[in-house]
Amino acid sequence: MNFFTLAAKNLLRRRGRTLLTVLGVAIAISVLFSLLALNAGYEKELNREMNSMGAHLLAVPKGCPYEAASLIIHGGVIPKYLSARDLKNVSSIPDVELATPMLMHQFMKKDEKTGKSTPHIIYGINMAEMLRLKPWWKVEGRYFADNETRVMLVGRDLAEKENLSVGQVLPVGPEKEDFVIVGILDRTGDQDDQFHFFPLAEAQRVFGKEGKITTIAVKVRDVSQISLVSEEMEKIPDIQVVTMTQVMGTIMNLAGSARSLLLTVIVVALIISAFGIINTLLMSVNERTREFGMMKAIGASGTDIGKMVLLETIVITISGGMLGTVAALAGSRVIESFVKGMLPYSPRGSFISFSPELVAFALAFSVILGLVCGIYPAFISSRLTPMEAIRSGLE
Amino acid sequence: MSAIVEAKGLAKVYRRGREEISALKGVDFIVNQGEFVSIIGPSGSGKTALLNVMGCMDTPTRGSLRLNGVETSGLQERDLVRLRRENIGFVFQQFYLMPTLTARENIELPLLFSKKAENKSRVDDIMEMVGLGDRGDHLPGQLSGGEMQRVAIGRALINDPKIVLADEPTGNLDSVTSQMIFKLFSELNGQGMTIVIVTHNLDLARQAQKMYTLRDGRIVGCEDLASDHWKR
Repeated sequence: MNFFTLAAKNLLRRRGRTLLTVLGVAIAISVLFSLLALNAGYEKELNREMNSMGAHLLAVPKGCPYEAASLIIHGGVIPKYLSARDLKNVSSIPDVELATPMLMHQFMKKDEKTGKSTPHIIYGINMAEMLRLKPWWKVEGRYFADNETRVMLVGRDLAEKENLSVGQVLPVGPEKEDFVIVGILDRTGDQDDQFHFFPLAEAQRVFGKEGKITTIAVKVRDVSQISLVSEEMEKIPDIQVVTMTQVMGTIMNLAGSARSLLLTVIVVALIISAFGIINTLLMSVNERTREFGMMKAIGASGTDIGKMVLLETIVITISGGMLGTVAALAGSRVIESFVKGMLPYSPRGSFISFSPELVAFALAFSVILGLVCGIYPAFISSRLTPMEAIRSGLE
Repeated sequence: MSAIVEAKGLAKVYRRGREEISALKGVDFIVNQGEFVSIIGPSGSGKTALLNVMGCMDTPTRGSLRLNGVETSGLQERDLVRLRRENIGFVFQQFYLMPTLTARENIELPLLFSKKAENKSRVDDIMEMVGLGDRGDHLPGQLSGGEMQRVAIGRALINDPKIVLADEPTGNLDSVTSQMIFKLFSELNGQGMTIVIVTHNLDLARQAQKMYTLRDGRIVGCEDLASDHWKR
C-alpha cells in the first residue's frame, strides 16, 4: 500500500460527492482546453482562409472594407460596383502582377422537397486569370473558356449537397436560361467549395450587370511592395483597398474581444470549481478528524496526513482534468459551434487545433489547481493533534 | 524489571471555555516491561486522560513522563510522533478502522507511516496471532465487532511496539467477545508484550496482573493481582 492507494480509496468512500467534484473540474478544464485549442487553431485557419483567396489586395467599392472582405470571402452581394475603368487603372499600377475582376451575385433557390429557400452564390470570374491566382485548383470535367456562354463550374460541397454532376443542366437567372455544368472543382477545403462560377461576361449578362464588377483581386509582383501598391490604388476614386493583413488584424482583434469574454467566463468557472473542491475537502477533513487522530496515534505525522489530503485533491483534479480533456476532444464540434456563435467572424473550416502540448498543459493545470485547492485543507488536517482530533469527533 | 512508563506528579488540565477541568491531579505511575496492567475507575476519573498522556497523544500540564527511558515533556510534535511510532501500539474502543481498506490493509497501515517495507510473512504471523488468518480480504463492514477489534489489535502490533495501550477495547463488544479479546491480550502478554488497558469492566480488569483504580484524577488503589497483594 502507498499514499496514492490510500487517497484513491478514501475518495471512493463517498462516490457521489467525489464524482460531482470531479465533474465540476472536468467542465472547467474542458472549456479551458477548448479555448486554448481554439486560440491555437483560429489564427492558423483564418490565415489559411485568407491565403486561399490567392490575392494580396482587394479593391472594393467605398464602404466598410471589412464587411466587404467578409462578403467576398464567404459570399454575398455588395450593392455597389466598380467599373472596367477602375480595373484598367488598377492594372496599370506598376508592380501589379495581376488584377482580376469578379462579380458576385446571390440568388435564392427553393428546394422542391422541403420548400425551403437557400442562398446560392455565383461568382463571375475570368478563368485564365483565376487559375493564375489559384494554381491549386483542380477540376473534374473541364474549366470553361472565358468566351464560352451558358457554362458553369461548381464547388465540390455544393455539388454533393445538390447532387450535381458534370453535364447536368441548371436553369439560371430571371429568364431561367439553361447552363451546363462543365466541371466540378476538387475539394479546396475553403469557401470555393460552396460557389457557382460563371464566365464573368455571362454573369454580367444574365443578371443585368453589364460592365459592373464587385471586386478586383490584386496579386503583386513583390510582397514587400504591397503597401506601395495599396497607396497607389487608394488614389483611384471610388476604390477602397483592403489588404489581407488588415482584414486579418481586424478580425483577430474582434475575435480577441470575444476570447477575452470567454476567458472571463472560464476564470469564473474555475474559481467556482476551486471553491467547490476546497469546500468538499474541508467537509471531508471535518468528517474524518477522528480518523486522522487514529492515524496520528498509530504513527502518522502531520506531514503524512497533509500529504494524503493533498493527494486526494490532486487525484480529484487530475481525474477531472483527464475527463475534461477527453470530453473536449469528443465534443469539439459542439464546443466549436458554440464558440463560433460568439465570434464576430469565424473561418469556415474547423479551427479547434489539439496538440499533445495542449493536453499536457491541461493536465499540468489540473495538478496546479489541485495543489492550490488542497493546501489549506491539508494544512488544517496536518495541524490537528491526535487528542484534539479524537475529542472533536466525540463532541 | 525495567520501566517502560514512568510517570511522576502527572497533571492534566483541560479548558472548556472559561471552565478548567483537572483530569489528572498528580499521578505517580509505573509500568514495567512485560506487565499486564488494567486501569479502572468511574466515568470522568481520568482513566483515558492518563492513557493518552502515557501514549504521547496528549501532553501533561505538569509532571514528568518517561517512555522507554525518554523524557517526553518538552518534546516537539515531530519527536512525539517518532516516539509513538517506535514504542506504542494503540487500540481504541471504536476500533477506528479504515472502512475502504481490507482487514489486512488496515493491519499494514502503520507500516506506511513508519516507512517500513511491507513484510508479508510478518503480516501473516500477526493475522494468525489475532485469529484472522482467513479474514484478511474482508472489509471492516463485513466483520463482526470482535473481529474488527482483532484487526485493531493486529494494527497495534505491526510496528513491534514496546507497549500496547488499549482504551476500553471491549466497550463496544458483548461479554463473550469481550472475554475472547481479553484472552487475546493475556496471550500477547504471555509472549512478553507489555499491555495497559483502561476499562469499566471490573471482572475483566481483574484478569490483568496489576489493577490501578482512579478516582477524581488520582490513583486511589493499586492491586497486585498476580500476588493478590494490596498497595496504597
